[in-house]
Amino acid sequence: MKIRRNKEIDPYDNGAFTTIPGPATRFFRKSIIWQIWRFTVLNIKIMRIVIGGHS
Amino acid sequence: MAQVVVLGAGISGHTAALTLKRKLGKKHNVVVVSPNKNYQWVPSNIWVGIGRMKSKKVIFDLAPVYKKQKIEYHQAKAVSLYPEGDAQNSKPFLKAKYTSKEKAGQEVTIEYDYLVNATGPRLRFDTTPGLGPEAGLVQSVCTYPHAEEAWENLKKVFEKLKNGEKQTIVIGTGHPKATCQGAAFEYALNIAHEINKRKLNKLADIVWITNEYEVGDFGMGGAYVKRNGYITSTKVFTESILAEYGIRWIKRAGVQKVDEKAVYFETLDGEKHELNYDYAMLIPSFSGINLPTFDKNGADVTAKVFAPNGFMKVDADYTAKPYEEWSGADWPSIYQNPEYKNLYAPGIAFAPPHGISKPMKSKNGTEIFPTPPRTGMPSGVMGKIVAENIADRIKKNTENHKHKASMARMGAACVVSAGYGFRSGLAATMTVFPIVQDIEKYPDWGRDIRYTVGEAGLAGHWVKLVLHYMFLYKAKAKFLWHLIPE
Repeated sequence: MKIRRNKEIDPYDNGAFTTIPGPATRFFRKSIIWQIWRFTVLNIKIMRIVIGGHS
Repeated sequence: MAQVVVLGAGISGHTAALTLKRKLGKKHNVVVVSPNKNYQWVPSNIWVGIGRMKSKKVIFDLAPVYKKQKIEYHQAKAVSLYPEGDAQNSKPFLKAKYTSKEKAGQEVTIEYDYLVNATGPRLRFDTTPGLGPEAGLVQSVCTYPHAEEAWENLKKVFEKLKNGEKQTIVIGTGHPKATCQGAAFEYALNIAHEINKRKLNKLADIVWITNEYEVGDFGMGGAYVKRNGYITSTKVFTESILAEYGIRWIKRAGVQKVDEKAVYFETLDGEKHELNYDYAMLIPSFSGINLPTFDKNGADVTAKVFAPNGFMKVDADYTAKPYEEWSGADWPSIYQNPEYKNLYAPGIAFAPPHGISKPMKSKNGTEIFPTPPRTGMPSGVMGKIVAENIADRIKKNTENHKHKASMARMGAACVVSAGYGFRSGLAATMTVFPIVQDIEKYPDWGRDIRYTVGEAGLAGHWVKLVLHYMFLYKAKAKFLWHLIPE
């Protein structure tokens, strides 16, 4: 994905002051093995939210 | 034999109806009254609006499901409510008008012992001049026909981009107090994803316009998440996602009018602006259905049952108080109407006691802030506990409400997914617990930081795909459907 932080964007535009993911973060976002782990963690957290949210 | 009537067959109403029938069995009658022929899994309308899914994949016919479950179904729209009956009939009842082709316009009277009002929102395009698909200017993805139309018009924008024409695409909230930022945000990311994929991003100016004080508020006052050794706000997370997708943003903006050329809005500093656009999708404000309600003498008691915004009053604390005094205890937990104890309003239909985001007013007195979201997972949970409590009242003859689900004790997950497929796409996943901040219980961050998450990756995208197929399976009441949680 191409990040549009270039000459077309005003350097003092609100988007110029944000955090942008680096190469490692972008790699892990697409890494199947790491994402299978995150998928498991997310599902556990969502299940905890659903079950703990009502009685 | 008791008769329970459910108004509406959306996420909350449909869950309530299926749960009621499962709990009550053949001895009692469950009736659904909905003006819609189809059930629609609203979260996937985004994929319809981006051309990644046909609308038939997000809907199904309600009649066969209800027939199989032995639930009586009227494709009709409720027009008035008589919670005390009237001079001729001492039993509570409602009047509805059929919307089906065969019986269109015919009126029906349906008696009830218990009524579940799960009518969802009324889309108030009329509160912002120029908004709504009827005006033909601005798109919507609130319903599947709207999403289909949004895609037809978006295709034309893609064509113009391919022909080298610059296009301004404006996505966001179409009213100073609109909610449902999550859906609009997801649509903006999907459009950016498709444009980037086609390598047309240099010609497209995508603008996120929002009534939030800071992006990432999402009508919940924002949230704090643990990320890389820091506790950061969802503002940082959301801004990062927007910047990564090449979307610029305008915050603290209350859209007041749209015409063929521009979106006109006021910002919290009182300034008036206009933004030219080629394509826009703006979420309207919501209200309740405000069903005219009469007592046994025929006197109008609508104001006793419904708040001025048309949502039904329930067991919330509606005392007007400043933001600093808002408490999680103000929020309802059983969704029972205080005036008529056999009326319930789960999902979007209940009147919230106040917002979650801090109320903000411009110098000109315009209120610009999001109203609280109540869609998806919370609506399903509310529908379920209302059904369980009604089943207990009928079967155990008890007035106790054992099952509770306050938004101040309930979490929610918001998966904002861009792209479609197993390896193509990325999602920003946010979970919060609880939805309404509880400063007394969680004095540091307002929420349980262990279960409040903000992360981007393929995993969230898979979660979204799984939720789509799993919840449609559940909604179709297929084998062991009830084991799938809300």
